[in-house]
Amino acid sequence: MATEPVGGRAQGVGSGLRLHLWDGVLPEALGLCFVAIIFGGFTTAYFTTVYFWRQQGAALRSSDAETLTRALATTLGVVAEADEQGAETEREARASVSENLLAGFTQTAPVHSVRWSTPEGTVRFAWPSDVNASLSLSATPPRTAGPATGGDGTAVATAPVRTPTGKPAGTLRIETNASGYPEWPAYLLWTWGIAAAVTLLVFTVVYHRLRRHLRPMAAIERNLQSYAGGIEKELTALTLSDSLGSVARSWNLLLEHLGELQRQQHAAAQTGPARDVLARFESTVFRRLVDRLPFGVLCVRGDHHISYANASAAALLRRPPEQLVGVSVNDAVGDPAIAQALVGVQTRGGVGSAIDQTWQDGDQEATLRFRVLPISDQPRGGEALVTVEDIGQLREDQRARDNFLYHVTHELRTPLTSIHAYVETLTKPGFDDEQTRKECYNVIISETRRLSALVENILSISQLEVGTARLDVGDVDLVRLIRQMVQDNLGAADEKHIDLTLKLPPKAPKIRGDKQRLAVLLTNLLGNAIKYTAEQGKVQVTVAVGEQCVQMAVSDTGVGIAPEDQAHVFEKFYRAADERVQMVTGTGLGLAIAREVARLHGGEIRLQSELGKGSTFTVELPLPTADPQEVSTR
Amino acid sequence: MSRILVAEDDPHILRLISMWLTRHGHEVLEARNGLIARELLQADPVDVLVSDINMPGLDGLALLEAVLPQGRVRRGAVVLTNRWDHGDIRERLAEKGVHVLPKPFSPTRLLEVIDSLTAAAAAGPPA
Repeated sequence: MATEPVGGRAQGVGSGLRLHLWDGVLPEALGLCFVAIIFGGFTTAYFTTVYFWRQQGAALRSSDAETLTRALATTLGVVAEADEQGAETEREARASVSENLLAGFTQTAPVHSVRWSTPEGTVRFAWPSDVNASLSLSATPPRTAGPATGGDGTAVATAPVRTPTGKPAGTLRIETNASGYPEWPAYLLWTWGIAAAVTLLVFTVVYHRLRRHLRPMAAIERNLQSYAGGIEKELTALTLSDSLGSVARSWNLLLEHLGELQRQQHAAAQTGPARDVLARFESTVFRRLVDRLPFGVLCVRGDHHISYANASAAALLRRPPEQLVGVSVNDAVGDPAIAQALVGVQTRGGVGSAIDQTWQDGDQEATLRFRVLPISDQPRGGEALVTVEDIGQLREDQRARDNFLYHVTHELRTPLTSIHAYVETLTKPGFDDEQTRKECYNVIISETRRLSALVENILSISQLEVGTARLDVGDVDLVRLIRQMVQDNLGAADEKHIDLTLKLPPKAPKIRGDKQRLAVLLTNLLGNAIKYTAEQGKVQVTVAVGEQCVQMAVSDTGVGIAPEDQAHVFEKFYRAADERVQMVTGTGLGLAIAREVARLHGGEIRLQSELGKGSTFTVELPLPTADPQEVSTR
Repeated sequence: MSRILVAEDDPHILRLISMWLTRHGHEVLEARNGLIARELLQADPVDVLVSDINMPGLDGLALLEAVLPQGRVRRGAVVLTNRWDHGDIRERLAEKGVHVLPKPFSPTRLLEVIDSLTAAAAAGPPA
């Protein structure tokens, strides 16, 4: 067999396997078996045929020799009678017949000898010619004749020679070689030749087709054994030539899939500690948890490519997570400082310093803060986490806190200033008259109350906003409460000659709520209405009972609220820039507290206002249901 | 005796300053906001201006910007403020000879500052 490689697609390096002709050992062996079986069969059939042919030929010739001997004896009897009678013509005719018979016999049978002996013992005819014979026949000698051996191969036929009248005329004895080689018929030779040629052709075709199918199978088997035995680990070296047919192509496709799986497994294995993290990320629950974190999380591999991004990171970086994974962190963030921080953490460990990235987002300034953290205790070359925070929001919150503090301190300082100054006045000798002392005491008392109310309001709004406020829930007769609040504010209304009216339904159910906080709500609304309504104006409180809620509206004919201010009036410390508003003392906390109280009772507060014409604040509070637990008891 | 304008939106503080200055022999004009103060100053200049900063309409800083260059305040000005950046304000107004007193303030200290302004005026040419 040839040993040239035929694995044309062998792509491996080093000890990559090649497909050789000996890979087809199995088909070759099968082919040899086929050849042996076919030629053995042919040989056996041939010799069997020849044997039976010869057996049948020998029997046929023995029979023919006897038949011929009897016929020749009969003819020779005629010849003998004619010879005795001197009938020359008859004798010649019979001799001619005998000659022809003998000639024909000797042409088809291997006759060794013919002898006609008289009863007296004289030889009248002998062949081969006998000098003592009285009759000579000129017969064509048989081609295969040979000397009689008298052995197993010799057949002897004898027949008495009688004249037609029955008179004995001697004995005819013919020796033939029964085992002589007969003539092989030409048609049999052609038949055998054609059959052999057709058989060989069929065998060749079958063998080649079988070999084509079995060779890749043998190669695959050998490759599998090499791979399983650890001889060859590179899958690419196990590929077969596409010329080996569909089996080889399917095998190669399988190898490609396996190779891809191997690469993925290898990549996952290479990530080291991040593998565990990613495995946990794969957990749906954990992924949801990480996605719900209020700050972005990027898992960055040693090559600075992102392997995971949570939903917050995607939102902050304004890219879908799938467009972040696989991208280098430098491309995703666009700030080389991140990559530098990664290098620092990966080489030295520890936590990277915060990196702020600021840009103009429309009208606002947006700032993201990145921080690099190592995932594992072995930072060198390992993975890292990059957290992303929107510190624009933090700064906004800080700004709101600062603003709150600014307003609080400002509002606190105002009564404190009065108290401080009036107390100092009381200590000075020039201000010790009774009227001045009384005036000082009154101011100190009122400013102390103002200070106390302010502190209370600040605490209230803080508790309401952060959710730590507790409601002392009970049955509240809202109509009675409103009457009381109106009564309390009649003095302030009278000072400005404001017409304060109350419009109540004939009957109103009680609601569930905190009486004290509802009183604060009403006081703030009524107080604002009176403060921001000019003298001689009108303030009206209306209560309406619906199927599911109670509505109370506080309307005034005051300065009104500009549309641009209406969206902000419920924010704490917000006061409209309108001069008529600024002229009135206020903390900017009243409406913020009112809104939070309404919300805590499951209600809401709405504003309807027109600048210069007045405002109407409508509070909607739910009526109690069968289940009193529906009212918040925070 | 000096003519002093007090611009203050808090009625108690306005009343207290007015009382102190009056009892120490000064003539006091009262203004509840910056706009009223500017009108009064434009109508008639004063020796000293005592002004709050946070006032509706026209705040104290704007009032100073409006009246000081016109010479409507002859001796000097004192600013009262409860803003927490009063240090910065003090630096900004020092060039213009304006005194800054953070709230809560001492009326005695305010009187001393006013006296120093008027005494300086008595010793030298008007500011």
